[in-house]
Amino acid sequence: MKYAFYPGCVSRGACPELYSATIEVCRILDIELNEEALKGASCTGAGVLQEKNLRLGDTLNARTFAMAEKSGNPLMTICSTCQGVMSQANERLLADPEYLASINEDLKEEGLEYKGTADPKHLLWVIVEDLGIDFLESKIVNKLNGLKLAPFYGCYIVRPTKALGFAENSGRKQALEMVIESVGAEVVDFPGKTLCCGFPILTINPENSVNMVANHTIDAKDRGADAMVTPCPLCHLNLDGYQPNAASARKREIDLPIIHLPQLLGLALGISPEKMRLNKHIVSTKKLLSELVISP
Amino acid sequence: MLDHDILIIGAGLAGMRAALSAKELGADVAVVSKVHPVRSHSNAAQGGINAALTDRGDDWRDHAYDTIKGSDFLGDQDAIALMCQEAGSEVIAMEHMGAIFNRDEEGRLGTRAFGGQREARTFFVADFTGQALLHVLYEQILKAGALVYEEWFVLSLIVRDGKCGGAVMMDIRTGRIEVVRAKAVILAAGGLGRVFEPSTNALICTGDGMSLGYRAGASLMDMEMVQYHPTTLKGSGVLISEAARGEGAYLLNSENDRFMLKYAPEFKELASRDVVSRCEQTEINEGRGLDGCVLLDVRHLGEKYISERLSQIRELAMDFANVDMVKEPVPIMPGMHYQMGGVKANVDGETGVPGLYAAGEVACVSVHGGNRLGANSLLDTLVFGRRSGIHAAEMVKSTQHVNVDDSAADDDKSNIQQLLANDKNESFGQIRLDMGTAMKEHFGVFRDENGMREGIEKIESVKKRAEDVYIADKGNIFNTNLLFTLELGFMLECAESIAVSAADRTESRGAHTRTDLPDRDDVKWLKHILVSQNDGGGHELSYKDVVITDWEPVVRQY
Amino acid sequence: MEVKFNVRRYDPESTDAVDHFQEYLVDMDDSSTVLDGLIRIREEVDGTLSLRCSCRSAICGSCAVRVNGEAGLACNTKIIDVLSLDGKTVTIEPAGNLPVIKDLVVDFQPFWEKIKSVDPWLQPEGEEPEAEYLAPDEDMLHLAGVVSCILCGACVSDCTVMEVDSNFLGPAALAKSYRFVGDPRDDSSQQRFKTLNGYGGVWDCTRCMKCVEVCPKGVAPMDRIMALREQVMESGYKNTNGARHANEFTNSIKHSGWLDEKKLVIKSFGIFNIKAMIGLIPLAIRSQRAGKVPPIFHKNIPGVENVRRIFEKVETKK
Repeated sequence: MKYAFYPGCVSRGACPELYSATIEVCRILDIELNEEALKGASCTGAGVLQEKNLRLGDTLNARTFAMAEKSGNPLMTICSTCQGVMSQANERLLADPEYLASINEDLKEEGLEYKGTADPKHLLWVIVEDLGIDFLESKIVNKLNGLKLAPFYGCYIVRPTKALGFAENSGRKQALEMVIESVGAEVVDFPGKTLCCGFPILTINPENSVNMVANHTIDAKDRGADAMVTPCPLCHLNLDGYQPNAASARKREIDLPIIHLPQLLGLALGISPEKMRLNKHIVSTKKLLSELVISP
Repeated sequence: MLDHDILIIGAGLAGMRAALSAKELGADVAVVSKVHPVRSHSNAAQGGINAALTDRGDDWRDHAYDTIKGSDFLGDQDAIALMCQEAGSEVIAMEHMGAIFNRDEEGRLGTRAFGGQREARTFFVADFTGQALLHVLYEQILKAGALVYEEWFVLSLIVRDGKCGGAVMMDIRTGRIEVVRAKAVILAAGGLGRVFEPSTNALICTGDGMSLGYRAGASLMDMEMVQYHPTTLKGSGVLISEAARGEGAYLLNSENDRFMLKYAPEFKELASRDVVSRCEQTEINEGRGLDGCVLLDVRHLGEKYISERLSQIRELAMDFANVDMVKEPVPIMPGMHYQMGGVKANVDGETGVPGLYAAGEVACVSVHGGNRLGANSLLDTLVFGRRSGIHAAEMVKSTQHVNVDDSAADDDKSNIQQLLANDKNESFGQIRLDMGTAMKEHFGVFRDENGMREGIEKIESVKKRAEDVYIADKGNIFNTNLLFTLELGFMLECAESIAVSAADRTESRGAHTRTDLPDRDDVKWLKHILVSQNDGGGHELSYKDVVITDWEPVVRQY
Repeated sequence: MEVKFNVRRYDPESTDAVDHFQEYLVDMDDSSTVLDGLIRIREEVDGTLSLRCSCRSAICGSCAVRVNGEAGLACNTKIIDVLSLDGKTVTIEPAGNLPVIKDLVVDFQPFWEKIKSVDPWLQPEGEEPEAEYLAPDEDMLHLAGVVSCILCGACVSDCTVMEVDSNFLGPAALAKSYRFVGDPRDDSSQQRFKTLNGYGGVWDCTRCMKCVEVCPKGVAPMDRIMALREQVMESGYKNTNGARHANEFTNSIKHSGWLDEKKLVIKSFGIFNIKAMIGLIPLAIRSQRAGKVPPIFHKNIPGVENVRRIFEKVETKK
């Protein structure tokens, strides 16, 4: 299956390991990535641009959708935030034909028109819906038995349920748990899995942000998790990058590695940790990897 | 012991309006409510508030006549005239306080048509006017810094030498019982829907105010006049606003006929509520219903219109009847909704018991007579709430406190101890259900002599059983189990008043329709029935003539 | 169908006042709501269960509880929609972020305090007209969405910021502020913006959408908070980390088409904010060591002039 790849800003910025892992995983899962189609697509706005100017955000996303339509391939994201912002923009654009028409007026000059057929999907949903869990299982070479993983979704891929099509696609609510189980690992359930990591307020209220990181990582760790897996690089940045701050704020060790979804998949699909830059995290994954039996 | 000039029981529209007007005149006001003010049942009113604005070319006399006719000529015409005269300024006052009424193209207040009226004079906020107005008053209460005893339950009124001097109340949060001395008490505790099952009313509508007033020596008037709202959902009793019909909805029977065309050729679906309920019940009784219901159809209004003007009822139908009104008609039936009767009060809220006032649904002035027009209740609460507050504030300037001390709470305290110690095993839930079903069956849309006598007996036997209610929760903190049992006492008293009044009226008028006496008797019955407590603890009936000024009673045609 | 209600109980008057779960097995109809179940329990099974409820039709706001960990009204939540994966159980707990008084009854005082603190009444300027204030219907229709708030507390119960910071004004109070800022008759926006821009105000929202998801009336508090942010910035309050963050984010996309993270972090705090800059050093060092540093030279996306053109067009429309 071929997809117009939308890597998002962070995987090309502070999370290069996400980008590399994604490329490797897609290769094995026969997901063909059309990287040209959306090369000129802008940032989604991440909800921040939208608070300055909602229409501007919708226009930029409509442009991205139009570019995907032009390529003839469905759009794939690898970031919960990109996914959520796009789904919300799409909902607004499709709900009001007059609004969409006036936005298309602004896209005309570039020769673009959004026809309303885009259905952006995160890699997580592509696996669970388009490829199927059975297909994923057929490609697994390393069952990660004994590994206990806490899922952390990221707000934008679980709310609002209406824009994200949860009613029509019932698998989306438990998608991350399904993937964790399919690679042979055990799910460590905890209430914070769909709550906020604190990233959006990182520069605005660092104290609250660190508290959120502390609450979720400590809770997962104390329930026995060996690591936390997330489909959002922004969540990763906060839960990983600010974990030392959280540990010192709570005066205890946490040491919970935070891995990206493609990295988890990669481990099960037989890709080497180095290729996925698993050695490039702030909270070290060394111990985690040494406890896994990784066949070459 | 607590001390205030004015104690207002109930923080709905009438109570908060009274508090604002009394506070403005400098009185020391305290409001007591068993729920937070914004939880009051005023918030369930949906359709709108009536007013004849002269700068629109409307005339209060038309509004008054529509109301009088709607009341089936049992309403007191002087009180009705006054309410209609003050309606305009009351609506403007609400708008100035911040209510977000619907507007026309010129930005002025917009109107919709409503039942029983020839002119569209109902001002509205989408279809949640009650909630919108209630919140506006709450905001004003905050602004004025008014004192609210939030989540306190009034156990009894204090009466000395026939004069009301305060109340005994319980802090629900701690169980603490306090005596509150007040020079004036305003009852604004709303209706008694839970006496019937089903009902559109909230669980808190247990006739507290009516019973408290009755026990304090006030009379209850027109209690037999119980309104069945034409469009309520089966089972839950949830209300679907008259606004739907105001915006053009049709009522259909099982043969897809708009049956109201034959019963009320001029007003059709917008005939007065008792008429529509009777027609629906007749269709159902004669086999043209669907599972005990008829259909309310708004499909022809279109999705956009429905989303703008009737969004709440669309949600209600989806949540509580699994029907999307944009696509399908919703099954509805007549459901108990409003008590036209209540504590007898004049236009200033005075009840006849010195120091005791009543305003809102708890009161009977009477402006609604035998049947209330839709959108007149919000008006009633605001006009008479305001007037009661003003009158009470003036009155207390020259009044002394009645001689009361903490011992005034002794009876209530020992009563509660007894209730808690009761080791019998009746359940308050079962008793309420039995009472409610009996009331619906014997005092429903259609009544008859035998049915009502049987109803009276059933209520008597339920009352007896209520003495054996077992209260499982013996705690002090938030003991809802105890509260429900106390409310049960209030409800049974109200049920009895309704039953005996209904059995006494030997004619059909307004909401009181007897299949054995189907005609109106203006010779004998242009009078109100009053129930009051006699010295032996039983009840006695008396009568008061209807005040007729400019409008002679005629046969009602819609 | 037989339903297992797993209800969190707390009796403040018991000797070992500790909260615990109590199970009730009740027979309910397919169309029953959670509230129907709770009422049946207290009327037929256990009279000591305390909860607040009144209208049964989602208008009074009394019955906000957490069902399976998520806030909502008990009266409009159908049991069949919330049965756990085993098809039999529903877990009910009191609303979150507020102290529990007993069982499912929480102390709403902190909630009312927050509402009061935003001066939630209309503040028009000048003389009152004799008749009504003139106002366009679309403004009133627009406000109808936020006036629909029944102050039930579901949003506050589940707010992820209030979970870590009780100082945050919260979604309900902020949505209430928007109700007045958006009212053409209200003239106090400038004073309101001052409070909203300050400590615990609009900038503390983490945009997690919990309040939007759990609100039973479609008020969408987060969207109102975002709208307030836009207005606060426009009215001149640009000197907060939040405003700088939003501005720099927008500029970054305008100029290069995507996010320059290094610049964003620095500019959000303010480059002259020495304390914050120093505070960032450990993070910078850690990130450097882990190789998690964005490219030194931030390149524009191909065709960035298209993005810039769109910015110009849409920004002038405003």
